[in-house]
Amino acid sequence: MRVAFYPGCVSRGGCPELYPSAVKVAAQLGLELEELTDVGCNGAGVLSREVSDPINARTFAKAEQRGLSTVMTICSTCTGVMGQASIRLREDPQYRERLNREFLADEGLEYRGTVTVKHLLWIIHEDYGLERLKTAVSRPLRGLKVSPFYGCYIRRPDAIIEGKPQRKQYLERVIEAVGAEVVDFGGKGRCCGFPILAANETNSMAMVAAHTGEAKGKGADCMVTPCPLCHLNLDGGQPRAEAQKGEPIDLPILHLPQLIGLSLGFNPDELHLKRHIVRPRTVEEKVQLLT
Amino acid sequence: MPKHSVLIVGAGISGMRAALAAHERGSDVALISKVHPLRTHGGTSQGGINAAVRDGDGVELHGAETVKGADYLADQDAVELLTGAAPRAVIELDHWGVPFNRDPTGRLDARSLCGATRSRACFVDDMTGHAILQVLWEQVLKAAIPVYDEWVVTKPLLDDGACVGVVAIELASGKVEAFTADAVVLATGGCARVYEPTGAGYGVTGDGVALAYQAGAPLMDMEMVQFHPLGIRGSGMILTDAVLGLGGHLVNGGGERFALKYAPTLGERAPRDIVARAAEEEIVGGPAEFVALDLRHLDGEEFKSRFPFTSNIIKTQAGVDPAKDAVPVRPVAHRTMGGIQVDSDGATGVAGLYACGGCADTRVHGANGLGGNWLLEALVFGERAGLAAAQEARSAKGIDARLEDERRRIAVIVDRPAGPEQAGPMRSELGRVMRRCVGPLRDASGLKEAATKIGELSARYRKVCITSKGRRYNYELGAFLELESLLSVGQVIVAAAQFREESRGAHVRRDHPVRDDARWLAHTVASFRPDGPAMTSKPVVVTKWKPEGRRY
Amino acid sequence: MQATFKVSRYDPEAGGKPTLQPYTLELPEDATVLDGLFKIREELDGSLAFRASCNRGFCGECTLRISRGGRLACMTRVATARTKDGEVTVEPIRYVRVLKDLVCDMDRSLWQKIKAVEPWLQPAARPPEREYIVADAQLRPVRNAMKCYHCGLCDEGCSVIPFDNTFLGPAALTKAYRFLADPRDGARAHRLRGLGEPRGMWDCVHCYEADEHCPRGIDPTHRILDLREMAIGMGIKSGATNPQVARHYESFAASVKKSGWLDEGRLALETWGVRRIFGLLPVAWRALQRGKLPIPYRHPKRAGAERIGRIFEKVERRKP
Repeated sequence: MRVAFYPGCVSRGGCPELYPSAVKVAAQLGLELEELTDVGCNGAGVLSREVSDPINARTFAKAEQRGLSTVMTICSTCTGVMGQASIRLREDPQYRERLNREFLADEGLEYRGTVTVKHLLWIIHEDYGLERLKTAVSRPLRGLKVSPFYGCYIRRPDAIIEGKPQRKQYLERVIEAVGAEVVDFGGKGRCCGFPILAANETNSMAMVAAHTGEAKGKGADCMVTPCPLCHLNLDGGQPRAEAQKGEPIDLPILHLPQLIGLSLGFNPDELHLKRHIVRPRTVEEKVQLLT
Repeated sequence: MPKHSVLIVGAGISGMRAALAAHERGSDVALISKVHPLRTHGGTSQGGINAAVRDGDGVELHGAETVKGADYLADQDAVELLTGAAPRAVIELDHWGVPFNRDPTGRLDARSLCGATRSRACFVDDMTGHAILQVLWEQVLKAAIPVYDEWVVTKPLLDDGACVGVVAIELASGKVEAFTADAVVLATGGCARVYEPTGAGYGVTGDGVALAYQAGAPLMDMEMVQFHPLGIRGSGMILTDAVLGLGGHLVNGGGERFALKYAPTLGERAPRDIVARAAEEEIVGGPAEFVALDLRHLDGEEFKSRFPFTSNIIKTQAGVDPAKDAVPVRPVAHRTMGGIQVDSDGATGVAGLYACGGCADTRVHGANGLGGNWLLEALVFGERAGLAAAQEARSAKGIDARLEDERRRIAVIVDRPAGPEQAGPMRSELGRVMRRCVGPLRDASGLKEAATKIGELSARYRKVCITSKGRRYNYELGAFLELESLLSVGQVIVAAAQFREESRGAHVRRDHPVRDDARWLAHTVASFRPDGPAMTSKPVVVTKWKPEGRRY
Repeated sequence: MQATFKVSRYDPEAGGKPTLQPYTLELPEDATVLDGLFKIREELDGSLAFRASCNRGFCGECTLRISRGGRLACMTRVATARTKDGEVTVEPIRYVRVLKDLVCDMDRSLWQKIKAVEPWLQPAARPPEREYIVADAQLRPVRNAMKCYHCGLCDEGCSVIPFDNTFLGPAALTKAYRFLADPRDGARAHRLRGLGEPRGMWDCVHCYEADEHCPRGIDPTHRILDLREMAIGMGIKSGATNPQVARHYESFAASVKKSGWLDEGRLALETWGVRRIFGLLPVAWRALQRGKLPIPYRHPKRAGAERIGRIFEKVERRKP
């Protein structure tokens, strides 16, 4: 299966462990990625729609140019922002035409409204196949206790789900498919606090502490997230969250491709686990035992 | 002991409008309400608010149609005041921020409601009352008018025959306090909860009506109760009759559009009293307990987009898909045209006591109030009452003693030892006998049965005990006091229905089926007596419009 | 039909904790949860405290947590609210102080916050003789926001409020939006500045929980994002944002405009300033060691960067 690949900014910036992991895992699974290299940041919910909608329309037009109708993301925020943009542009042809005229025409581009944005997590379930993933697993992660943390934008608003409520369970199913044990907890669909890191650090860190603390308290060895922005806060922000809370947390956070990659046989170093702020020692040890 | 110049009981649409008017006059005004202003019942009004603002319409025509709609029981001087003030009242709301729907020229749009030959109901989607209520509350906040929220008024304070304040219970604490004022304005809403089932909210229990009545203020035209034809099964929840305006049909078991029998031209779009009566006749005369609202022939998408709320109610509450099946409906008590007798400035028969809104009979609805005139009336006469009340000044004596009396009375009620009688089931008994005997169709023997039953309930009422002895949030005590209001109001409604021996508008006497202008071009007036209301009549004020036959 | 209601009972004056008290009732098939609550109070237990008014789904008063979901009791049928074991659980909405049983302190949580946004029309000039001439399309967003019946469910679902009740919250921010969207209001700059202060619109994490929880389809999260667009449109230096948010936005936009993608190192530095970065030194050092700290400004342009920059320019040229 061939998809257009939009890696986003953070997967090669603040979370440089994510991009190579995703590329390795895709290759191993036989998922053909055609990276869109000359497109721009989708705005991440920070840039106003006035400027981000044209940027995203251009990205979609570039995918269409290559004959591709699915744009794969590896970030919940990219999924949500670009997903909402694609829905807006699909449902309002007049708006799409205006953006084409004003922003894309002078480059010889035209977006026709055919692109769907899907996270790797969705592609595994809906296009690749969970059963197929199971057969690709060569090192089932038995005994590894993993809590799912989705990231708001891959779950809400409702339009993103596109009538598939099962999308809100995909992460748990993947955890099980790779042989690990799901540690469910109340905060799995809630906000990590990253969007208000600048505006209100106290609240942001409180959210990190609450969600990691809850999962840890329920026995999780680690958390897995499909969003590098959540990763930045939950992993990168964990020391500050601990300091604010006055209690240790020590819960490693994995990116989704890293979790899958470990079950496909990649070792932790190949997946750049050493880059994390919170050392995933337990994970490395348990994986070592399984090898 | 809080003291204000004007105290307004009831912080709904009419009460808040009165407060703003008094405030404008520089008065120290306060509102006191048993529910938060935004939870009052006027917010459920969906149809619109009438004003002759559009081309091709006029204040006179609005007046003529109002008088005819009232089956000529409206006082025409009051109607002229109402329709004349309407354009300014609506424009004022726009200036305050109500986002009325606009026509393509950017001016106020209007829709046509039952009984009107012109489109004159200005509207905000299907939530006109809700929008007006919000905006009035916003203006009350802006003016920093104090609102005593969740206080239940139990008694007026009378000194030398004049009203000098009220006594009220704070729900949160159970504290019983006296509020004094130079004038009190009652804006407590109507009495439709005296019926079961009813489309009215839980708080529409006629507290102010009963309070005024017992204080010596006469009540007018209490027999005039509007039944809404579209009450859905069980709950009595009402579907807006704008669906009839959209083209919905009411049919009986044989699929016949029976409303045409009573209103050959307008059919279902005739004034509500006619349609409700038609539906009641079908139900009483046939085997089914409901008639059917048929929307199947309408454009499903248009219906859902223009009436999203109604669509949802039909599906979730009536359990019906309106595209496939007709919706079972029957008439339920909706609003009361009658109420406290007032002049055009809201003055009642008791000095210092004013009334406006649903609890007052402002003499414009007569025997049937037209849709779109109710919100208008609440605003126009609310403003007038607020202005008038702001000009009063009086001092009060002996308040402490009266407060102690009321505290003791309430304590006695709460402390009463347990017995078999409960307020809730008793209210239901009252509601059911009212619906059966004082509904859209009445006769002497039914009314007598109702009167007897109410007498029995009133005696049993004295034995009702409050099981909850706690002071905080004692809703059981509140319900008990509301039942007292309902029994009082019910008694007067029955007496007035017995007194008016003719049929006019919403009051249909099967034993007196014809309208009798010779004797009954007059209001019924009920005055409090310990053994039952003393009934007199008062001629209708006729200025411009001679009573005619009322055909739609 | 028979139904068992488990109703939360709690009197702060008596102390203790909320408990679920069971009541078994006989109710008509189409009864609502509110019908059930009234039956309990009228026939079984007069001490139960709950609020209700219109019984038609208009006023918002009977908002409760019914079988673990926030909704109006008068519009929820018992038949659909029942869980597998035939029970209906009725509790107060969360994160608001309980005054008694199902009655909550809406004053402290909802009403005060709404009052804080100056919720009345503030026209710029004297109104016209007659009605304002306004295109209906301009009032549609106002009417949409005014569908709100102040149920408080958006605040209850909010990601931030359980952590910080000083946050204005989606209900009050939507109320503010109602005026900002109204062409008849003349206090735009004043309002946006007020909303841009701490605890205002920039404290929202735009998680879309409010959109999920609003029963009226008002989409409060979208409305808050609209407020942000308005503030950004007013000019990031206008004061409608706090300085950190302003710097964050400008830095983000500047790097995407220049190179086509985000320079996070620059973003962190420009948002927080050098001193603050120093304060984060332990983590920053760890991040640097592990190659997770993008060096600010050492940020390669991506292919297509000029095109992205041109999009920014076109949008900037549009502004007056």
